[in-house]
Amino acid sequence: MPDEARPDTPPARYRLAVDIGGTFVDAVELDRDTRRIRFRKASTTPRRPWEGVLDAFDALGTDLAATELFIHGTTLGLNAILERRGARVGIIANEGLRDVFLMGRGNVPESHMYDFTYRRPPAIVARRDTVGVVGRLDAHGEVVTELDEDSVRAAARYLVEESGVTSIAVCLLHSYRDPVHEHRVAEIVREMYPHVHVAVSADIAPEHREYERTSTAVLDAYIRPIFERYVDRLETELAERSFDGHFLITRSGGGAMTSAAARLAPTTTVLSGPAGGVVGASFVARLLGRDDLISVDIGGTSLDAAVFERGEAAVVHEAELEQMPLLIPVYDIRTIGAGGGSIASLDKGMLQVGPRSAGAEPGPICYRRGGTEPTTTDAAVVLGYIDPGGFLGGDMALDVDGAREGVRVRLAEPLGMSVEDAAAGVFSVMLAKTVGAIRQITVERGRDPRGFSMLAFGGAGPLLTPMLGREVGVVEVIVPQAPSAFSAWGMLSADVAEDASRTVLRTLEQDALPDLAAGLDELAAEVTELLRAQDVTGGGEVVVQRELELRYLGQEHALRIAVGTEIADAETLRKAFGERHQQLYGHAMDNEVQVLNLRVRGVARLEQPELPRIPTGDADPAQARSGERLAYDFATGEMTTFAVYRRDLLEAGDVVPGPALVEEGTSVTVVHGDQACTVDEYGHLLIRGATK
Amino acid sequence: MSETTFVDGATASVVHNYLLSAAEEMRTTLVRTAFNPVIYEVLDFGISIYDADLNLISEAPGLTFFLGANDYAISKAVEYVGVDNLDEGDVVLMNYPFWNSAHSYDATLFAPVFCGTGAERERPFAYLCIRAHWMDLGAKDPGYVLDSTDVHQEGLLFPGTKVFKKYEPNHEILELIRFNSRMPDLVFGDLHAQVSAIRTGERRMKEVVEKFGTGVVTEVTRRLFEEGERTTRAALARLPQGSWTAVDYADGDWNTGEPLRMQCTVTIADGEMTVDFVGSHGTAVGPVNIPFGSTIAMCKVALKSLTSPDEPSNAGHARPLTVLAEPGNLFHAVYPAPTFTQWTSIVAFELIFKALAQAMPDRLGASSGGDMPGFMMVGTHPDTGRMFAVSNNEVVGWGGAPDHDGADATIHLSESIVRNTPIEVLEQKTTMLIERLEMRTDAGGPGRHRGGVGIERHIRFRGAGEFLMVVQKTKTAPWPVGAGRESEPNRIVVFPGTDRERDISTERVPVEPGDLIVVRTAGGAGHGDPLARDPEAVRADVLDGYVSREAALADYGVEIDERGEITAVRR
Repeated sequence: MPDEARPDTPPARYRLAVDIGGTFVDAVELDRDTRRIRFRKASTTPRRPWEGVLDAFDALGTDLAATELFIHGTTLGLNAILERRGARVGIIANEGLRDVFLMGRGNVPESHMYDFTYRRPPAIVARRDTVGVVGRLDAHGEVVTELDEDSVRAAARYLVEESGVTSIAVCLLHSYRDPVHEHRVAEIVREMYPHVHVAVSADIAPEHREYERTSTAVLDAYIRPIFERYVDRLETELAERSFDGHFLITRSGGGAMTSAAARLAPTTTVLSGPAGGVVGASFVARLLGRDDLISVDIGGTSLDAAVFERGEAAVVHEAELEQMPLLIPVYDIRTIGAGGGSIASLDKGMLQVGPRSAGAEPGPICYRRGGTEPTTTDAAVVLGYIDPGGFLGGDMALDVDGAREGVRVRLAEPLGMSVEDAAAGVFSVMLAKTVGAIRQITVERGRDPRGFSMLAFGGAGPLLTPMLGREVGVVEVIVPQAPSAFSAWGMLSADVAEDASRTVLRTLEQDALPDLAAGLDELAAEVTELLRAQDVTGGGEVVVQRELELRYLGQEHALRIAVGTEIADAETLRKAFGERHQQLYGHAMDNEVQVLNLRVRGVARLEQPELPRIPTGDADPAQARSGERLAYDFATGEMTTFAVYRRDLLEAGDVVPGPALVEEGTSVTVVHGDQACTVDEYGHLLIRGATK
Repeated sequence: MSETTFVDGATASVVHNYLLSAAEEMRTTLVRTAFNPVIYEVLDFGISIYDADLNLISEAPGLTFFLGANDYAISKAVEYVGVDNLDEGDVVLMNYPFWNSAHSYDATLFAPVFCGTGAERERPFAYLCIRAHWMDLGAKDPGYVLDSTDVHQEGLLFPGTKVFKKYEPNHEILELIRFNSRMPDLVFGDLHAQVSAIRTGERRMKEVVEKFGTGVVTEVTRRLFEEGERTTRAALARLPQGSWTAVDYADGDWNTGEPLRMQCTVTIADGEMTVDFVGSHGTAVGPVNIPFGSTIAMCKVALKSLTSPDEPSNAGHARPLTVLAEPGNLFHAVYPAPTFTQWTSIVAFELIFKALAQAMPDRLGASSGGDMPGFMMVGTHPDTGRMFAVSNNEVVGWGGAPDHDGADATIHLSESIVRNTPIEVLEQKTTMLIERLEMRTDAGGPGRHRGGVGIERHIRFRGAGEFLMVVQKTKTAPWPVGAGRESEPNRIVVFPGTDRERDISTERVPVEPGDLIVVRTAGGAGHGDPLARDPEAVRADVLDGYVSREAALADYGVEIDERGEITAVRR
């Protein structure tokens, strides 16, 4: 186990990554000796989530005693919140301000702006479980009213003994300036009730804005017990299987942390679902030297897109979950309700795709599980993209006639179109929705998507993204190996990371620099210590990134500017900020600049997996050709003959001209007539417009 | 286009999606490049795309009230400028309140888009329009004007003036703006942000037309209008038919303190809806008069919420709507009436629902707290020695709904996506100390579904300055539905417990260190008979402090003991 002293043994051979999704648990094994990577799936077991993980281990059959690293992606915390299965939480706030959490910012989500009988979702804390205590700091962190410890004891007694809460979130005004009152409250509660979990807002997110900080503490208090139980259980099971390596859990904003560290900060894992894919995409971007990249992860119900600049995905420090803010680092991922299971239907004579999805049950019509509404996958079957006999490596014969019939009856006949044109229409509509969203996320950064590459993964990614790339006009679409398990694979390249931040609110001027540098040093020491304590890299190097979050005085939004251990002079910083502001917002100003937050990320680099290379061929993919079939070519708008290739037989340097289908067990890459696909040394498929 | 082109339902949907995302991309560009926080934080803007005949094709409103707000403005502005005087690349500025659907600081910019080939290019194929709140155009006071008595005290006016001609900036006009604004840099920043957004929209419109042709795009928009109109008519036909009138009062303006009668009669018949404001007060002395375009926009929002809340709007949706208000009515301001504070429309908005609720109690909620009380503090910050002006919008309770309680402590429905200002931000940027901000027990009107509760805020001043309050509904109580009950109105008390104590409405109040001001916002009114409320729900409210034990017995007939157990139900 991680916290025990490890004897000097030869480096263990395997790395494992397990990603729990909505339907499947994806497991990946990396054999460091042979560089071989193996993938297996197991079914998700929502009621006893650890069982799915163990099933996935069994499916792989890896020797856990010879495994150095197990990296786990779990949405357990997220599910606990979505399903309202967390602890009963009480809140201790300032006297007169106990409603901070329940009132929030008073706003209604934009999607409900015309709903004048809007109803807030049920709160995860009841008002009866909120108490104010006497004691108050002002905006400078100065004491206005001393903390009344008797009022704290009375509050704790009420919450625990009368209300019966098992977790308490403590959030007092201006604690980001000075946590003294919060710490004392926590101390008193812990002394009185050692079994009650206490979440202290300034320890979790020492940032200004009381509602956002309170909400973060409440969510921590809410999910921690359930998260601890899960990690305990998995640790025990792993120990029983003689696992002696490190057990890491992926974080929402990149990197991973040991299970021991994750137990103390479960909120950082809450939105880690799509993070594995982003980490993997960053790895591919660096490996292939693609600075500007858009990752497109298409699963059954949704499409997740992220933008990478200089090979790194943007991280934001505030997320929202069930309308509750969460001050944690999280990848900036845009989700669109369009995936392989999205349902196509008619609304007032117009074809619509999504956001409703057939999910895994009943699923697309062609799955024969009772689905009756045509989905994107059914349209793909009609258009000849998916080989009905070879789906999931031949494990599941698809119902082509059912898919055709569904498209004919529900879409083609009412629209007065042929079955193929209606099926192609499903893709056109889905693309039209997606193109706008892709433009949005690049335009928001002041960038033109046409200079980007796209990386396609998720089960339906390779099928749809070449069309999408064609429509957006990106440079190329890259399809990695085993795209449907890419998220789990991506976790193998995760580093161990820790973040720390602090709100400072100081005008950016020369005099402030020593204090800012000292503050950053303290945060750097904090994350370094946290990483050392996790001891995953055996005392290896810790890389610390320091950032100042700056804004024009009076503005609400801020931008992060990286700084070194020595902060350059204030003028240089102001200039760097102005340039970034210009790039992102189209203008810079002469106004004063304010330092809002200090942010530090520490990264302990793990040895990165090496991608195996594939044999080099003669540019002719003939050896991989397995046949041909009729499919719909978006370049010409008609059914035409596509050459079919087996991906595992392609060789580096092969050029596959469109129209072509490149098949592998769980996905198919569709190369249209005006595109060509080149295979690189790692077996990536690079799809670009054919040179005429 | 004379002959119609056949367009299949898939292509129509694709074109529609591109038209919607064109408006969305304009929005992203504006929010990303705007200079002032009122645009990028409060979303005080409206973006629309029109066809050649100025029918709304798609839009991206910021706030609810900007839905369709550009429609009236652009028709007036194009009429003033003349279609024949418009060239490719022109951008026209209009902020004349009586044509614009807003006050003078909402600057409406529009541009023609020329597409297609040959003769098609002789007139605009489409128009793009963006209104956004500018920070200063030289009105009598900096910030907000609370006591103007004519439109000329409210800043520089543009009737429809080209700020760009054929893609070239019109320097003479831009210089005129520069010399008439206290904050020209911010204003230019926002003007250029609007122009950038217009250029983005222009590119996207041209791409769509290039890809599909003018014939297809025209046919798709024709279908959208037709379907939109059909949706509205069908939804109206499903509602009770008839005519209903309601009356309420706005507080009035600071100049006179006289309450203003607001009356509206809503008629639903034959798939159409008419909203008539006859019977309302005439022109008010102070800046509370509503331009007719704003009145129409307000009615469009009400219509949308009743008939098509979940679909993107186009001109077709609003065709069955008629809005009537004679020139000189409070809701049809005419020159030279002052119009600067638009708060009257927030209060009047619910008047439409008050009329309708008589006929459809099973569909509509009771009145909310009725307003979005706003305050601002202006002063000098002791840390920096500089002037600050920081504002906050206050929450109210929403009215009890037919099948659930009203939302507690939520921003008024007319601007519900706006967020309040965190206490920590108020205390950093001003000399206020917020001693209390809590939901008020018994603030929600009793009902089978009770009104949401309002709040009580205690503001202690630690430094001198001015406190500006803007509120229009402190004198009448929120109205219930059915046997539900009223809730207490909004109440703002300055200097309580001193001999200077008094209640205020909209006012600019000087404050000194140590002073206290208490803002109590109204809860929503109740829906249905409180005696029909589930006693367990009453008990839960008592345990959570939304309802007192006394009120549980008096209003709901539920007797609850100190331990929170129900001891008797007296009904």
